[in-house]
Amino acid sequence: MLCNECGKNEATVHLTHIINGKKSENHLCEECAKKNQQMFNSTFTIENVFSEMLNNAFNKSGYTPTKGCTTCGMTYDQFRKIGKFGCPDCIETFKTKLMPVVKSIQGYDVHVGKIPKRAGGNYKLKKDIEKLKDELKLMVEQEEYEKAAELRDKIRNLEKGI
Amino acid sequence: MDKEHEIVVTSRIRLARNLKNYKFPVKMTGEESNEIIDAVNNAIKDKDLNFKLTYMRDLTDVEKFVFIEKHFISPALSENKNNGAFLLSADDKISIMINEEDHIRIQTLGYGMCLNECWEQATKVDDMLEEHLDYAFDKELGYIASCPTNIGTGMRASVMLHLPALSMTNQMDRILFGISQLGIAVRGVYGEGTKSMGHLFQISNQGTLGATEETLIEKISQIVMQIVQKEQITREQFRKNNFDDIEDQIHRAYGILTNARSICSDEAMKLLSYVKLGKEMGIMSKVDNKNLYGLMVEVQPNNILSNANEQLNLKERDKIRAEIIRNKLLG
Repeated sequence: MLCNECGKNEATVHLTHIINGKKSENHLCEECAKKNQQMFNSTFTIENVFSEMLNNAFNKSGYTPTKGCTTCGMTYDQFRKIGKFGCPDCIETFKTKLMPVVKSIQGYDVHVGKIPKRAGGNYKLKKDIEKLKDELKLMVEQEEYEKAAELRDKIRNLEKGI
Repeated sequence: MDKEHEIVVTSRIRLARNLKNYKFPVKMTGEESNEIIDAVNNAIKDKDLNFKLTYMRDLTDVEKFVFIEKHFISPALSENKNNGAFLLSADDKISIMINEEDHIRIQTLGYGMCLNECWEQATKVDDMLEEHLDYAFDKELGYIASCPTNIGTGMRASVMLHLPALSMTNQMDRILFGISQLGIAVRGVYGEGTKSMGHLFQISNQGTLGATEETLIEKISQIVMQIVQKEQITREQFRKNNFDDIEDQIHRAYGILTNARSICSDEAMKLLSYVKLGKEMGIMSKVDNKNLYGLMVEVQPNNILSNANEQLNLKERDKIRAEIIRNKLLG
C-alpha cells in the first residue's frame, strides 16, 4: 500500500481516528508520519502555562509600554508571546509585570540558594555572616561560650572584608 | 547491587547559567555564540576532567540523536544547528551544553540514587567556570535564566525510575497526580513532552526559586524513597498473590526477546522491562550478569542507525534490534 499523503513511498504507519464515533483510517510512510506526529506533540508544559499567564497579566493591566529592553530590543509583545527573556537585562525591564506571575508559578520570589563567588560579590559574604550570626545566637542560647567566641571571631574577620 | 539501586536507574543534576553582557541564545548572533563557546571551552580546558568539545554543526542528525538517547544533550540543543555545542567529560558523566536555551547548562549524571554526589560534582564544575566567566546574577532572583521558570537556583534535579509493578497494577496515574501536587514534575524519558517507555519515569523538581539546592534535592529524594517503597511492596504482593502469572509473563517476555527476528522499540522496551523486573525479583537468574537498562538504551532507534553502515528503513532496523537483543541475552 502506498502512502496516502505523498503517494510515493510504501505506507508503514497506520493511523485510526475515531471522532464522534466516526472511524477513519490513514496510511502513511515514515516521512509523512513524522510530519504528522508534530501535530500531536503540542504539550501542556509549565513553559506554555507560564507564557499564557504572562499574557493574561499583561492584557489585564491595559497598560501598553512603548519601549522594551534597551539592551536586546525585546519588546513587551514579543516577551509575553514567547515567555522568555532576550538577555539578562530583560529581567529589570519586565520586573514589575513579571514578578507576580513568577511568584504564582514558582511559589516564591526570593532566591535563597547558591551565591556565586564573583558575581555575588559582597552579597555572598553578607549572607555568610548572617548565617554565622544565627549560629552564634544559638550557641549563646545553649551556653556554648567557647564555640560562640570562635564564631564571633570568624564574623569579625569576615566583616573586615566588606 | 541493592534493591533501591535497581528501581532508581539514574540520577541527574542540571544547572542553568548565563553570562552577563551577552544576549540569550534566542537573540544572539553567530559571532556572539562562538565567543561564548570559546569562553566556556577556555574556562574548562586545563582542568583534569578532560572535556571534549563538539559542535552541533559537525554532527549528522543520527549522531545528534544518539547523544540525546544517551542523555548527554537535550533535544533543544540539537535544534540549535549552527550555534550549539557541548563539552563532554572523558568519563561521560558531566556534560556542559553551550547555547541551548541558556548560555550554559551543566549536567551531571550517575547511576542509582546519587543526587547529592551529582550536585557536588555540578557545583564544582560551576565554580571552575565562574573563575573565568562573569555570570548573570540578581541578588533577589538568583541566577538569571532565559526562561523565568528556571531562575533562582537554575537547578533541575531528576531521577529516572523503573516502575514495572506500579505500572502493571495501574497505580501510576494516581501516584503521578499525587506528586504533581507537591511541586514535582513527571517528564518522559527524553525530557519535556516525550512519552514514558519501558515503565521508565523521570521525576524532577518543578520550582527553582525560594529553596536551597540541598532542600530541593532532599525533597525529591524523600519522594523517590516513597515511590521506591511502593514499588517494592507491589513486587512483594506479586510474589505472594500472583506469582504464577508474573513468572509466566516474565518468561514469555524472555522467550520473545530471545527468539524474535524483528521487534519494534516500544515492544522491546516493554519486554526488557519485564525481564529486568524478573531479574530483580530473582525469577530470571539467566540474566543476572546482563545490564538490561544498558540494553534498553542500546536498542533506541538512532543508536541502531548510528552503528549501521548504511541507511536503514523501519523493517531493517527492527530486524537488527532483534538481533542485538538475542546476542546480548544469549551471548
